[in-house]
Amino acid sequence: MKIAVLVKEVPDLEALVKVAEGGASVEVEKKRCLSFFDEIAVEAALRAKAARGGSVVAISAGAGTGVEAVRRALAMGADGALLVDDPALGGADSLAVARALAALCRREGFDLVLAGRQATDDEAGLIGPMVAELLGLPCVIGVTALELEDGAARVSRETDRGTEVLRTPLPALLTAEKGLAEPRVPQVMGLMKAMRAQPPKVTLAELGLEAPAPTPVAGYRGPAKRPPVKLLEGEPATVAAELVKSLREEARVL
Amino acid sequence: MSIWVLCEARAGGYRPATLELLSQARRLAAAAGGPVVAVAVGDDAGAAQALEGAAHRVVTVQGGHLSPYAADPWVGALGDVLAAEAPRLVLFGEGTRSRELLPRLAARLGAAAFTNALGLEWDGGFLLTRPVYGGKAYQTIRCGEGTCLAAFRPNSFDGGAAPVPETAFGEVQAAAVPNRVEVLEQLPRESRRVPLTEASQVVTGGRGLRAPENLALLEDLADALGGAVGVSRAVVDAGWADHAIQVGKSGKTVSPALYVVAGVSGAVHHTMGMDTAKVVVAINTDPKAPIFAYADYGVVGDALQVLPALTAAVRKTAG
Ligand SMILES: Cc1cc2nc3c(=O)[nH]c(=O)nc-3n(C[C@H](O)[C@H](O)[C@H](O)COP(=O)(O)OP(=O)(O)OC[C@H]3O[C@@H](n4cnc5c(N)ncnc54)[C@H](O)[C@@H]3O)c2cc1C
Ligand SMILES: Nc1ncnc2c1ncn2[C@@H]1O[C@H](COP(=O)(O)O)[C@@H](O)[C@H]1O
Repeated sequence: MKIAVLVKEVPDLEALVKVAEGGASVEVEKKRCLSFFDEIAVEAALRAKAARGGSVVAISAGAGTGVEAVRRALAMGADGALLVDDPALGGADSLAVARALAALCRREGFDLVLAGRQATDDEAGLIGPMVAELLGLPCVIGVTALELEDGAARVSRETDRGTEVLRTPLPALLTAEKGLAEPRVPQVMGLMKAMRAQPPKVTLAELGLEAPAPTPVAGYRGPAKRPPVKLLEGEPATVAAELVKSLREEARVL
Repeated sequence: MSIWVLCEARAGGYRPATLELLSQARRLAAAAGGPVVAVAVGDDAGAAQALEGAAHRVVTVQGGHLSPYAADPWVGALGDVLAAEAPRLVLFGEGTRSRELLPRLAARLGAAAFTNALGLEWDGGFLLTRPVYGGKAYQTIRCGEGTCLAAFRPNSFDGGAAPVPETAFGEVQAAAVPNRVEVLEQLPRESRRVPLTEASQVVTGGRGLRAPENLALLEDLADALGGAVGVSRAVVDAGWADHAIQVGKSGKTVSPALYVVAGVSGAVHHTMGMDTAKVVVAINTDPKAPIFAYADYGVVGDALQVLPALTAAVRKTAG
């Protein structure tokens, strides 16, 4: 069983983000890591391999980014890593990234492709299902349990309406939700080995793709600042009455 | 230059998220020119008459294979309709369906795609706003000339735009597309409440509630407000509640009109999931708790006492 995991390198959740004066650009502290749900996807891939045999390949696309993401996957136990590295992917939109990943997946051929439910930076949830569609694969998003059968996968997921258990034929693309698998902490030896790994890189041209136009960004702004909090203290009943009055008359949300 | 809205039915009518998108579409169409088109597929088309006045055109997409909902046939049907009509914008309310359909449709149509968006304006072109870096910044994108598919968080727009004087209804028969993913089991969530991500009032509790039985205090207030209940990750990790109602980075993102948060410290992983709420009320025993920096109103006190008092006060004004 050949398994691919699509892994994105993102700014750490603690990384400082600063919008430049005038909002033309944004500066992000260079603390990078493997995206939260992708780490879960890597763990699920490793468990699938343990159950059915085969190999796990971590794949990332970016403009000079992605090495940290695939190295983390290697440290966790992935067998190999591949990068699409092309300056034209800097600022490219989701579809361009998905096309690059799909082209590489098509070239390699996989029985199962895993991705994260969404990346922690853009929270878009676009790339996984886009890659599925481009490859013509069935797709289940937000998977919380995975069991492999011969030529099929039995999966669970949570929707707005409740829980579902589904069966999809393989090859398929699944996106990982929290609960699917608890990511292992890599061993020191694995980390050291992964740190030296130089994964093979391909460019968009080598995949037969044209350079995409960058996303037309008009500008950035910081989060809207709330006015200073109005603190209330005292007897619960009195405070509650005061608060409800403010919520009705001042904030107008009741 | 048409603006389409994918309409999702709920309880004999349409999702509030659908109605607010139609409202914003009418507002924009008045400025940009061009019709608003409401599209409803399969079972969601059943209530289409309710869309009279909400759009210039209502397109219902029919076919036996479209009900109950399944992604493959829906992507096929909507893909054909949108390819034929080449709208400028197609708006979706965020939810499991938008997450499943929008990216696949974009890949099929070669369309621009954005999710998790919060704003849409017109200044001679369409400008879309979405959070980036987990909400630490907001990015504005200028939509191009081609088709753009965009999903918006519920409660992003005002529902009150004027209705259109006339609505034309039309039907499209979709070509049959097989569904590759088989449903083995479905366990509908038992809830008398609005879904967490759509609710305009959300009451969230954290570890400060001290014991699982105290989550009932959240339920009581949510009932009084007509809203939904959320929890912090600490509560989920303790096994007091299901991950399905966790608010934050690794859970759900909510954007309600009112967010009441009790016994939650205000870790950035939590606030990333609620920071776009319009009004935030925080209840915490610790006056220095970081959550107060994300709140409009703060009560320094014991959640176990303040929550019931607040429930009583809300019931009193409502009744
Ligand atoms: C990768 C990652 C993802 C994460 N994702 C999420 C996420 O999606 N959602 C999330 O919530 N967290 C998430 N977390 C965890 C987050 O960092 C915090 O640990 C968590 O939010 C803390 O939960 P809490 O506020 O309920 O508990 P605590 O931090 O323990 O806070 C309890 C608070 O209750 C107050 N308190 C105590 N007693 C009372 C009382 N009687 N009345 C009122 N107040 C009282 C205390 O003063 C304190 O402020 C994530 C962490 C990581 C590393
Ligand atoms: N540049 C990338 N390289 C590899 N995988 C990616 C990339 N961007 C996104 N993904 C995958 O797609 C998922 C969803 O990402 P997004 O659409 O950005 O929310 C991520 O969790 C990854 O699994």
